Amino acid sequence: MSERRLMLLHYVTGLGILVTGAVHLWVVFFTVPLDQTIWETTMLFDGHQFAIMSVYRNALLASTLWLLLVFTTFHAMNGIRVILMELIPNERVMRVAKWALIALGVFLVVYGTRTILIAYNIR
Amino acid sequence: MEGKVVFTVFSRESSAGARPRYVSYEVPYRSGMTVLDGLLYIKERIDHTLAIRYSCRMGICGSCGMKVNGLPRLACFTQVSELGRSIKVEPLPNHPLVRDLVTDFSTFFAKHKSVKPWLIRKDVEEQENPTGQYLQSDAELERYIQFSYCISCGLCYSACPVVTALPEFPGPQALAWLYRFYADSRDHGGRERLEILDRATGIWRCHFAGSCSQVCPKGVDPALAIQLLRRALIRG
Amino acid sequence: MLVPVRYSVERWSYTLQRVTGVVVTLYFVLHVIETGNFVGGPTVWYVPPYEFAKAYYEEVKEFLHNPIFDVGLVVIGWMVAFHAINGIRLTLAHFGITLGRPSRVEPDSPPKSFSTLQRAIFWSSIALAVFAAVYSLNALMGVFAR
Repeated sequence: MSERRLMLLHYVTGLGILVTGAVHLWVVFFTVPLDQTIWETTMLFDGHQFAIMSVYRNALLASTLWLLLVFTTFHAMNGIRVILMELIPNERVMRVAKWALIALGVFLVVYGTRTILIAYNIR
Repeated sequence: MEGKVVFTVFSRESSAGARPRYVSYEVPYRSGMTVLDGLLYIKERIDHTLAIRYSCRMGICGSCGMKVNGLPRLACFTQVSELGRSIKVEPLPNHPLVRDLVTDFSTFFAKHKSVKPWLIRKDVEEQENPTGQYLQSDAELERYIQFSYCISCGLCYSACPVVTALPEFPGPQALAWLYRFYADSRDHGGRERLEILDRATGIWRCHFAGSCSQVCPKGVDPALAIQLLRRALIRG
Repeated sequence: MLVPVRYSVERWSYTLQRVTGVVVTLYFVLHVIETGNFVGGPTVWYVPPYEFAKAYYEEVKEFLHNPIFDVGLVVIGWMVAFHAINGIRLTLAHFGITLGRPSRVEPDSPPKSFSTLQRAIFWSSIALAVFAAVYSLNALMGVFAR
């Protein structure tokens, strides 16, 4: 992909994270009563599942979370690429780094998708 | 303010393997004295070997750029009274060092040339032998006049954190010049100019740290030029 | 170079945006791995997820539920909020919005690119980040509302 496409996607995913991330924070934090910590609410484990997992049985919230995962993965990997490119202006290092970042990105999306699917399916 | 001012000056011989060191000189203060005046006093009365580059002594030629008390500034444009008793003078960073306070601008000017800092016209014959005047309105002039004040002193280039890390980056000066011609109503460069920048080491590496605009002695604001250039590139 | 003492807030924003970006990326990677492990980790393919999850939950809660990690998460909260709002500012600036227009230079006037609106968004990103840190401090450790 050209540098221009990558950087435009960086802005677009950044704005996407603002929206989907706000939903994520709202689910995790703002539904928590002010006098309780997340260990007593979001992370509460009833021996079967976490409290947060029942929230993500909602298809809309689960797909928003998945979008957040994809956006953040791209934004983070591209951000690291930009920083590396400016710190180590060496083409061989960058070629290795590019594939390492793609591999890490694919792993994050696959592993994160699995988490969301499990949370979505669980009863 | 009376008495002495201490100048701590970076010094390194041009011969290979020479070690850099800092030398302190005491210079009597006089009212209205600039950093360049102080350095010239040192060169005339104390240490004749001190190498500095200067020319006009009035902020027009852009030769005497150096790092004064941690910021890139024009030595002739910086009053001693605004700095205090102790002044540290170093060569401009991001430019290769020749010796003492003199830096090599050849890479800088090569980048300057790479953005085609001249009017590109489709009608070459008309440009060589113009048949009329090319008037511009006030609004057309204001789109670029600010950026045409650049004297290529290289201060923005040495303040830019991106140039420090990525030597291929064109730097604020070259990009501001590019925008100066891109925004000129007489110029036909258009896309051709923008495509010079649209690469991995080009305009996308500017992250708006704003240091270029902060140090510019002529108020050129290269950061603004670069953002407007990027807007043109995104919208084009 | 990384700590620009003599430069303007734009330079500080450049440094902070990078540092927070890298730290939040590290957090993001660990967060994806950790939540994945919570729902069964690699064993989910051959044991029912709940049994592993229960053991893992006890283990992780013991490991994570202490003041050091909570303070770390509060710092992450600060960083996420700062990176987000400052990111809006940078996106606007990169698209040429909220900056001043080029004009004739007036002596001693600040650069047009350091517009009041830009500065305001920068400082509100700091303020919002502090608010986010306070909020997450409360949500993690229940300091204030008890």
